[in-house]
Amino acid sequence: MEIETVPSESKPESNPLPPKPKFEPLKAHEMSDGRVQFRKVSVPPHRYSPLKKYWMDIYTPVYEQMKIDIRMNLKARKVELKTRQDTPDISNLQKCADFVQAFMLGFDVPDAIALLRLDELYVESFEIKDVKTLRGEHLSRAIGRLSGKGGKTKFAIENSTKTRTVIADTKIHILGSFANIKIARDSLCSLILGSPAGKVYSKLRQVSARLAERF
Amino acid sequence: MIPSAMASSTETALESLHHIKSTEPPEWLVPKQELSQAVRAASKLLFSSLKPYCPKSPFDQLLTEGFDVEQIWQQIDLQSQPLLSSLRREVKKFEKHPEEISKLKDGGVGGGEKKKKVLEQIETDNVVNDDEDDDDMDMDEDDDDEEEEDEEGEEEEKERGTEEESENEGEEKGGIEDKFLKIKELQEYLEEDEAREFGLKKKKTKAESKKEEEDTEEEGDDDDEEDENEGSEDDDDEAEEEEDELGLFDGNDEEDEDDLENARYEDFFSRKKNKSSKEKAKSRDMLEEDSGSDDEQDVDKRKDGPSKHEKELDKLRSKIEEMEKANLDPKVWTMRGEVTAAQRQKNSALEVDLDFEHNVRPAPVITEEVTASLEDLIKTRISEGLFDDVQKARTSSSKAPREIKELDESKSKKALAEVYEEEFVQKTDPASALLTFSDELKKEASMLFKKLCLKLDALSHFHFTPKPVVEDMSIQTNVPALAMEEIAPMAVSDAAMLAPEEVFSGKGDIKEEAELTKAERKRRRANKKRKFKAEAAKRMGKKA
Repeated sequence: MEIETVPSESKPESNPLPPKPKFEPLKAHEMSDGRVQFRKVSVPPHRYSPLKKYWMDIYTPVYEQMKIDIRMNLKARKVELKTRQDTPDISNLQKCADFVQAFMLGFDVPDAIALLRLDELYVESFEIKDVKTLRGEHLSRAIGRLSGKGGKTKFAIENSTKTRTVIADTKIHILGSFANIKIARDSLCSLILGSPAGKVYSKLRQVSARLAERF
Repeated sequence: MIPSAMASSTETALESLHHIKSTEPPEWLVPKQELSQAVRAASKLLFSSLKPYCPKSPFDQLLTEGFDVEQIWQQIDLQSQPLLSSLRREVKKFEKHPEEISKLKDGGVGGGEKKKKVLEQIETDNVVNDDEDDDDMDMDEDDDDEEEEDEEGEEEEKERGTEEESENEGEEKGGIEDKFLKIKELQEYLEEDEAREFGLKKKKTKAESKKEEEDTEEEGDDDDEEDENEGSEDDDDEAEEEEDELGLFDGNDEEDEDDLENARYEDFFSRKKNKSSKEKAKSRDMLEEDSGSDDEQDVDKRKDGPSKHEKELDKLRSKIEEMEKANLDPKVWTMRGEVTAAQRQKNSALEVDLDFEHNVRPAPVITEEVTASLEDLIKTRISEGLFDDVQKARTSSSKAPREIKELDESKSKKALAEVYEEEFVQKTDPASALLTFSDELKKEASMLFKKLCLKLDALSHFHFTPKPVVEDMSIQTNVPALAMEEIAPMAVSDAAMLAPEEVFSGKGDIKEEAELTKAERKRRRANKKRKFKAEAAKRMGKKA
């Protein structure tokens, strides 16, 4: 990339200013002096085999639509992403990285793909101990409360708030838009703190109704 | 024939009468044939002698042969009853008009013998009376003797004056008197009691006054009685005392009144005379003993004892002292105001009849009738089918109920991307309102129902009238009306189908809980509490 200097001299009143230069947006490749942008996402051991299973589902949208190179570094146990020459936008790389990260956290591929498609989706993670310090049986019970019987409470939250949640032992990850994340987080926190599922449901119902009416 | 027979019979009767008089009292205890015969004869004589005085009597003479004692007695009774009443009337008349007695007296002077006879009879009567008393007291006695003596006594009574009659009246109250109750004894006891209370001087003065009354009476009544009084002191005293006995019933008012008026020398200084007369009186009479003792007591008290007035004053004083003492002492717990259990004795509330309000209705007593009535009621209700079931109050809804968004508890089949995709599509392309989850279910249900209906219609050969379509729930999506009608809208209008209140019904600024300030949170809580309290109060008002 060439840096064009602005003419230091400016003509006196008689001459109008020279036209402003028009630059085209920088491509991903051209950024940082032509060097290639990398992202590396580490793979936790429990996601290793699902990664192997869903590799093609991950690879295809990243490579085809996002135009980002992706590979798995087995030795380092990392997924590496790299921009190409024809990567349209630098944000693609970040999106792909987020997508892969979401998968690594535990989200399903179709859910994670929403990250690629929509801009405003985020992943929020927090731990149970952030909400309330629980030990032993209480912790187990809290986790049980969060999921519900057969996961119905979790699904209820997901369906009503249009989010996806992953409850990994003591870590909780929520994927969705900002407002929805907030609602889901509130519900989960109230569950952790001990409120019964019915109460949470009623609140969810109100909220979702309000959400549906909002335009 | 008859008069001679009568004369002889009278002679024999008189003889028998004398024989009776001469027999000793103990001999009456044992039944003897000769005695009974004698008595029968005597009774016959008396009966016939009295016959002229009672015109109403059905019998001319007393029939004794072959008659039972009871029957003989009845005959005598028949004769004597009207006779007695007539005699009483006569006496009352004499009481009111003493001048008539003088007339009688003139007529009676000639019959002095008769009077003597009367006197004798009085004496015998006294004997008989005593005998009677004894007999009454004894249990093992022949009925014959008893009744015959009674008869005699009664017959003799008829010929006597007021004095005896009054006594007889007492005796004739046979209904009241029996072995246990004796008016005489009652009178004696009362006399005793009153003497104790009021002092015997009064009694004595009263006795004197009574004596004077008697004197006046008797003077009016009969000369002979007067003579009696002077002559036979026994009778006098007895009569006196008898009067006393009866007079005591009249009350001590007389006593008090006569006290001062009739106080005489004799009251104070004629002790000796009375004493001696008393001693002469018969010993068996209980009266005597009493009067004797009374005399002695009276003598003592006359000189030292306080007067009646003083006694009364003493009594009053003692009463006043008592009352004052009671007032000074602390009150009984029942008279104090509020008393707790600690301030009164143990179990003292049990002795007092407490009355307090029970604010609870008393539990109903379950009797057989109550249960029977209840069961009958139940049976009738069941047979009629008249149950008091609670009817649900239908809330009249002005608008159709809006569809309630159900909470899906199963794993979402759509991926998150698809969810957002749909959302986006809905936003941009309003016409393509995709079916909600409930709509899908409904579609499935309607499909099933249609199949079923087809089969059923085939059964009825397609002759049927379809039911009208009733829409019970209206689903309104908040989509502009234009969008619903046109498939491919060129322009989208602002006019949404749902009115703003249908979109959202609420007041003021809607804030989430996290957004509220502390003051606002407090306000919300206070409002909630107020509402709850109002509701609770209304509920209590309904119940009560």
